[in-house]
Amino acid sequence: MTSIGTGYDLANSIFSPDGRNFQVEYAVKAVENGGTSIGIRCKEGVVLAVEKIITSKLLKPNANKRIATVDRHLGIVYSGMIPDGRHFVDRARDEARAWRDTFKSPIGTADLASRMGGYMQAYTLYQSVRPFGITAIVGGYDPSVDLPVDGEVGRGPSCGAGGKIPGKNFGGPGLYMIEPSGLYWGYYGAATGKGRQAAKAELEKLDLAGPGGESLTLEQAVKEAARIIYVAHDDNKDKDFELEMTWISGPEGPTKGLHQEVPRALREEAERLAKKALESDDEEEEGKDDKMEE
Amino acid sequence: MDHRPQAWGRPRDDVYGPYDASYLHTSMPKTATQSPIVTGTSVIAIKFKDGVVMAADNLASYGSLARFTDVKRLRPFLSTSVVGFGGDVSDMQFLDRHLTELAIDEAYEAEGCSAGDVSSSPSSTSSSDSSPNKNGQLNASNLHKYLTKLMYRRRNSFDPLWNQILVAGFDSASQPFLASVDLRGTAFTSPSLATGYGAMLAQPIMRKYAATEEDAARLTREEAVKVVRECMKVLFYRDARSLDRFSLAVVTKDGVEISEDEVLEEQSWAFAERIRGYGTQTV
Amino acid sequence: MAAMFSQNPLMNGPNYSVNDAPRIGAPEGAREHRFDPYTDNGGSTLAIAGADFAIMAGDTRLTSGYSINSRFHPKLFKIGGTTADQEDATIVLSVVGFAADGEALKERLDAICKMYRYRHGKPMSVKACAQRLSTILYGKRFFPYYAYAILAGLDEEGKGAVYSYDPVGSYEREQCRAGGAAASLIMPFLDNQVNFKNQYIPNSGEGHALVERERRPLTRREVEVLVKDAFDGAVERHIEVGDGLQMMIITKSGIEEVLLPLKKD
Repeated sequence: MTSIGTGYDLANSIFSPDGRNFQVEYAVKAVENGGTSIGIRCKEGVVLAVEKIITSKLLKPNANKRIATVDRHLGIVYSGMIPDGRHFVDRARDEARAWRDTFKSPIGTADLASRMGGYMQAYTLYQSVRPFGITAIVGGYDPSVDLPVDGEVGRGPSCGAGGKIPGKNFGGPGLYMIEPSGLYWGYYGAATGKGRQAAKAELEKLDLAGPGGESLTLEQAVKEAARIIYVAHDDNKDKDFELEMTWISGPEGPTKGLHQEVPRALREEAERLAKKALESDDEEEEGKDDKMEE
Repeated sequence: MDHRPQAWGRPRDDVYGPYDASYLHTSMPKTATQSPIVTGTSVIAIKFKDGVVMAADNLASYGSLARFTDVKRLRPFLSTSVVGFGGDVSDMQFLDRHLTELAIDEAYEAEGCSAGDVSSSPSSTSSSDSSPNKNGQLNASNLHKYLTKLMYRRRNSFDPLWNQILVAGFDSASQPFLASVDLRGTAFTSPSLATGYGAMLAQPIMRKYAATEEDAARLTREEAVKVVRECMKVLFYRDARSLDRFSLAVVTKDGVEISEDEVLEEQSWAFAERIRGYGTQTV
Repeated sequence: MAAMFSQNPLMNGPNYSVNDAPRIGAPEGAREHRFDPYTDNGGSTLAIAGADFAIMAGDTRLTSGYSINSRFHPKLFKIGGTTADQEDATIVLSVVGFAADGEALKERLDAICKMYRYRHGKPMSVKACAQRLSTILYGKRFFPYYAYAILAGLDEEGKGAVYSYDPVGSYEREQCRAGGAAASLIMPFLDNQVNFKNQYIPNSGEGHALVERERRPLTRREVEVLVKDAFDGAVERHIEVGDGLQMMIITKSGIEEVLLPLKKD
């Protein structure tokens, strides 16, 4: 960073001569220190997972949740400064509620991502504020069936106008990642935080955009998510961690369209498989080393 | 200097005439429901040994006009409770939205991150893995207390929600719970409850089967459903603002099941021939 | 409104809370079309103070019009305890009239007594609680709690204390008081049986020279029987009273609760 110390990093709303906002870049640094978060979008739904570093033995296990429910069908996980994330989630909940108040129906994942992207970006514009020290992953499942308007009575017309275009798909899973700059894209698989490089490499191997995404079931996605968090965790540098995972399926799936914590049994099974996969990887590597020595 | 700040900085009266201060007053008078408009008739419910059965027909009347015939007046809450609404339908919609927000709020802190019921599936709603009162979420008893306070506050501000409401589910001791609250905030419980005409026509029938809590604790689910169906039939026979299509909800520890397209079967109108004093017959 | 707060049978017709009588003075066909925030849920209460105890009693029926809403809706509440079941409470409140107001009144008084207890480290005295209840009621003088309250406990000397109220907070300490739908039926009976009104010593004189029977405090057993008799009589003659009798006996060792059946017709 050539411009460090030249004064262009002291405030938001001042570009450096080479067109950078240093405050935003420093915020990204804050994210890079946080525990790894990932999201996987497959055909049946979305899985969110986070590596929760245990900062003290006095913390109650499985308490202090890091993945937040925003609306029935929406969840957010984030890496970086946790208080910033909490505020971000508060705002997301307000947005979801305001949407319901005006439109009497749940907010779409894309709409929420757009609103929250706009909110994040606003914090890069002014002297008086600093950018969010988080990168957030927003996951949701927009209902593919016609949801009743909140509080509506009756079923509406059974024929005639107001119908849908046959054969066209509506709703479905959505996954978005919002960065401190306010930049957001939709993803098949998203990773952020300390272990993002390793996690991204693993996510790419799943080939979610291609046939991999078509064939991956939600349960497999849960297991992959657990494995990726374990792969991304650096045993040597970091303390122990807890794995927190949530998922969202469609109305026919296991969560019935709701954002829920992954059931304990499934999570533990996923963790067992993740550990096993890691061990066998290690053995392979050791095997290679042996051969090299020969 | 004029002692009224409102008068400061205005054009001089002696030059421009008296100042029109009407904009200082808010334009709309305070509004409140003075009477119900589109209404739903009876809601009935009875406890049985493992839970509660509730029913209400699918009609919303506009006076004597059968205006909407596919109205859902039983609403699930957090897949552990059912709320049945009699009275004004728009106030019911308001309450339903309010309860939706409440359910989402509950999900923020819930251990399992569950955001409650999906009121989406049109025919039946059920959830199996949710036992009542899990994760310290609001149970039916808590919900009833909340609604009572809400209704009472609205009556105190002379802006009542024109409903009588039945709440069914489980209490903190995991016992079947059934209670009522009306537009004045009057709240009570009983082994069986009915609103509107149901209080006159259905309640005596239900009390034959569940006069006391002990009686109710001996009823099976099948018996309770049968009694409720029978009561819905009696109500359809005699309540002119009722319909033969109705919703039936069963709350048990396994969750809430609501079927919204029940039809009254085996009706007999033989008694109608003996009715005199209406229509064309003279004797 | 005036008739609503009157316990005078002449103003209130047959003393049912339902009033189907035609409105006098209303123009032909004119209907009042406005929300009425009040209703009467019937029921009756009764309290008697003894030498070292006080008894509060009430039926458990809740009515609206000619319908019985619930056969078990208690009108008696322990006030100011520190636990959910109020096991360490020392005061009992009964409310009858409009049930929603009664409930709200109870919750407010209970909260205030609890705050007092936490702040001062001792339960509120009945005397203080009685004054506070009056203040609460008068505070809503222009939108009153339509509830007839009776407060019972033991005073500083350990004697039974009963305070009775009108809906806007006028109150006095009494030996006994009946409230609610059947108050006009029960009160004369109490005058005679508790305060020995119209009881004279036989052959003690002619006319005004008759000597009144000397008043003596009743025993707990006597009072319990009296309460049951009073309610059995009220149930027989008043449609809004019945189903169950809830009694709370306040002594220095705590509050004892008794539930007895009443006729359900």
